[in-house]
Amino acid sequence: MSDLSSWIVNMLHRRDAGISVPAMDGVLKPNSRLEDATCILNMPGIDDVVAAGSKLVVSAGSSLLAFPLPFGGGDPETISTFEGAISFLAVLDDGRYAVGVTGKGVYLGVPGSFTLIELAPELSACMMDATQVADGRLAICIGSLRNPANEWKRDLMEKGRSGCLCLLDLDTGSSDIVAEDLAFPYGVAARAEGSVAVAESWRHRIVAINPASKKRTVLLEDLPAYLSRISPALNGGYWLTFLAPRRQLFEFVLREDGFRKEMLETVDSEEWVGPSLSASTRYDHPLQQGAVRQMGILKPWAPSSSYGLVVRCDENMRPVESLHSRADGALHGITGICETDDGVFAVSRGAGKLVRFTGDSAGSAASEVQS
Amino acid sequence: MAAKDELLALRYRLIPDRLLGELLTKSWIDNVIPALALAVTVIIMTILIPGYLSAGNMADLGRQVSEMGLIALAMTVVILSGGIDLSVGSMFALCVLTALTCMNVAGLPIGVSLAATLAAGLLCGLLNGVLIGYLRLRAFITTLVTLVIFRALYDIIFPRLASAIVGSFPTSALWDLIGFGDFFGVPVSFLIFAVIAIVLHIGLSRLRPGWRLRAVGGARRSAYNAGINVKFTVCMAYVVSGLLTATAAFLFSARLGSTGADTGVGLEITVLTAVVLGGVSLGGGRGSVGNAIIGTVLVLILSNSLIRLSMPGSVNQLILGLVLVAAVLFDRKWIKNRSKILSKVYVSPTYLPLRDRPDPGDDDYLAVNDKLGGVELIGLGAVEGPEDVILDRDGNLYTGTRHGNIVRFFGPDFKRHEVFARIGGHPLGLAFSPDGDLLTCVGGMGVYRVTPQGVVEKVTDETNRSLLSIIDDSRLRLPDDLDIAPDGRVFFSEATIRYDMSEWAVDALEGRGNGRLICYNPHTGTTRTVLRNLIFPNGITMCRDGQSLLFAETWACRISRYWFDGPSKGRVEIFMDNLPGYPDNINRGSNGAYWVALLGMRTKTFDLAMRKPAFRRRMAKRIASDEWMFPNINRGCVLQVSEAGELMDSYWDKAGENHPSITSTCEHRGWLYLGGVSNNRIGRVRIENSVPDWTIHQDYWGER
Repeated sequence: MSDLSSWIVNMLHRRDAGISVPAMDGVLKPNSRLEDATCILNMPGIDDVVAAGSKLVVSAGSSLLAFPLPFGGGDPETISTFEGAISFLAVLDDGRYAVGVTGKGVYLGVPGSFTLIELAPELSACMMDATQVADGRLAICIGSLRNPANEWKRDLMEKGRSGCLCLLDLDTGSSDIVAEDLAFPYGVAARAEGSVAVAESWRHRIVAINPASKKRTVLLEDLPAYLSRISPALNGGYWLTFLAPRRQLFEFVLREDGFRKEMLETVDSEEWVGPSLSASTRYDHPLQQGAVRQMGILKPWAPSSSYGLVVRCDENMRPVESLHSRADGALHGITGICETDDGVFAVSRGAGKLVRFTGDSAGSAASEVQS
Repeated sequence: MAAKDELLALRYRLIPDRLLGELLTKSWIDNVIPALALAVTVIIMTILIPGYLSAGNMADLGRQVSEMGLIALAMTVVILSGGIDLSVGSMFALCVLTALTCMNVAGLPIGVSLAATLAAGLLCGLLNGVLIGYLRLRAFITTLVTLVIFRALYDIIFPRLASAIVGSFPTSALWDLIGFGDFFGVPVSFLIFAVIAIVLHIGLSRLRPGWRLRAVGGARRSAYNAGINVKFTVCMAYVVSGLLTATAAFLFSARLGSTGADTGVGLEITVLTAVVLGGVSLGGGRGSVGNAIIGTVLVLILSNSLIRLSMPGSVNQLILGLVLVAAVLFDRKWIKNRSKILSKVYVSPTYLPLRDRPDPGDDDYLAVNDKLGGVELIGLGAVEGPEDVILDRDGNLYTGTRHGNIVRFFGPDFKRHEVFARIGGHPLGLAFSPDGDLLTCVGGMGVYRVTPQGVVEKVTDETNRSLLSIIDDSRLRLPDDLDIAPDGRVFFSEATIRYDMSEWAVDALEGRGNGRLICYNPHTGTTRTVLRNLIFPNGITMCRDGQSLLFAETWACRISRYWFDGPSKGRVEIFMDNLPGYPDNINRGSNGAYWVALLGMRTKTFDLAMRKPAFRRRMAKRIASDEWMFPNINRGCVLQVSEAGELMDSYWDKAGENHPSITSTCEHRGWLYLGGVSNNRIGRVRIENSVPDWTIHQDYWGER
């Protein structure tokens, strides 16, 4: 019903109506908690983080690095290196690692002995995240069948709708596509009742997909930023990370087909109007009027192309807590998160940093909701 | 593709989209629709009623217009003050009674009778004015009550004098002339009305009492806060209303010579209809004499024609009532939506093709460096918005701030500073005249001079009005930079005539030649526009030949040379084209070079948008201005160019920390000083290959 009415509204005001993006308000009210989080690792290319037993494992480029848990400081140890960029990192129930390697497939095993389950090239080019589902299979998000993972911005600008959710049988190596036409599914997390929650990044929403019935239910929508990975929280909820903010200008350019196509054809992707993982240092990067430095200061509320945002949801996928790194901050482009008894670890791919913070305890989160 | 682009360029050259928005900014646009309605009514009546435009009919109409028009003016004055005067009809009747009693019964001279009539109107008006203005009663209920009171007075007095009035006729030639005379077919009463209307129009639209009246009606509290005596102004509106009504009554008495029990009954509704139909807003503060006249004529034509078309009187009233409802409805919608429409249509981007941006990486001189990384900061936090910087002969540094001051930093270390002059607007370009006066372009104000003692004087704030521009371009909206020719003439740029200083970024979105180059001649005291349709003309500097100057056109990314004297006088030639960024101020440097400050760098996406005017127009409509696409003005750079327009060097601030946007430079004794309009610091950096004791004064005016 809401689809129909929004379609009618779109038809009526297609050319001139104002464009808005959801405001960061309520639970999403900006703060600087993410910006203030303790940085425990500086590593360009860092992408994902998981907890595996007594280790905290992070992926950066083609390497896996590990810290012992609880975290006591010091440098990580490189535990494995693969022949390609690591696209996701998951830990199975039996303690084995599942490591997605772009262009190859999924490596299963423990550091020192990995076996490869090859995937078709169109599937392995843009794997984003994976998680093990109830029947033991591995649910893998394929962001796009048309663009590789590092061309995510092109996929957004082409209004990519070619992502899918693939279930990989770890014993036989057979794969089964259970959901198609997803708009860049970036993150996936298993849900208690057997379905999986998938972060559909370009549609700014989280859908629950039942692998058996293939039924889709929207759990959370109208988010103010493009989602990246999601992971379970210790108290039964979920942690959501966000790649980059939505801006009115980006939404506008997405509606302007003529301009967008010419931009895609004639301009280098670094110079496109659109979201980015970190504040560009280039002199020829596009700017929005509100992001002009005034009196030596970039305002925290400036419409920047990058942003740092982490949201914790309850088990019904309702947001209860958020952490921000605003336009004047640097901890942008969050792509990985994992909560352990030792705190929450989040990866800022934009800044190339791993940070640790403590989430609100259940009590203070509840009071925030009530107030 | 090329053909398509050429079509697009042609379409934006031929169709002046901006005019619609400019028309809507005019205050007389409120009159256009009533005037059209009037024209349409006249045409329809001319077709329906044969001989409608005959001289006799027109003279008759003229007499009616003069009486009702004066009352409409009275109503207009009161409505402008934010009130309403329902007692005009009864007041009119009382005044008619006074006039006829004086003339017919008492046989007083016409001058005394006029004075008595006006006094009656003044008293009635004063009663309303004191009750509403000073005692703060509601206008509607008060004038409703005085309507009843004045009518009751009339009904008490009239029967006792009725027979005396009818019984005698005054013998006054002037009285008859006012009533029946005409000059070349134009009724005398109409001439009287015309004179009063013109005087009132000037008073309302050009003089202080009129402006105060509108201010009170438009926003009472703001008017009070602005120091206007609100109570007195409101009271005076009713007094003026009474006087005008009395004048109308006098004309009416002279024409008819008698009165009846129903004189002035229902007049207030007719007049109200006329005034609202003419476009005077019931909310107060908006309306004019023109509105009142148009409305009066329209109502008279309508009612007269309906009578001539043999409509019954009740139908006539019904139609007038319906017209009033329609007019009020339209008035509300128009007031509410006019500014909305205006904001939607005013921004009107045009096609601006720029060649492919040169890639700094490919150029030896232009490659990104960090020469401004080690900049020395001056006045960090003490100045806000130092658009231009300049040093005097003694090595003191001057800059304007957005607080409206010119700040002086004392050399040689610039640790101490003082407010040199308070101007009131944001000083932009600065230049020293040979006798040490500091000339400055002040945003929103004009060109000002500050003497060495710190005394501020206006140089000029207006230029000649162009014949064919709809918006008034005689006032200076955004004078930007200036320089002084050897003979003392001041050449300055005005960046745009369509936007104020706070909205300069919107002009970037338009990309049209909205700016101009203006010359002030101190010998004749005149200011004349010399070049028009420049695309955000910004920096200006004199060339060393004394006959030409360089000016930067910011959004066009080019610098041109203009000869104002000598054999090539009037010629404009491109000096540097296709710059990698947006040029701001240009200043002379040592070794015969020029410094060009780039306030921001071009981006390919913005260049692409400049070729897509419709895209930019939709952007302006659909998204908030803070979200608009913009060139990258968080990175600036300074170029050193030769006399021939060749690039010699570039100075970048790689990180954009200290000088994200550079709007001006000034070379002085081996240092380059940097200003930025949205910055809170001035920077200085050593120049590698400069002449150590070179100063701008020597270069312009020689040794002291």
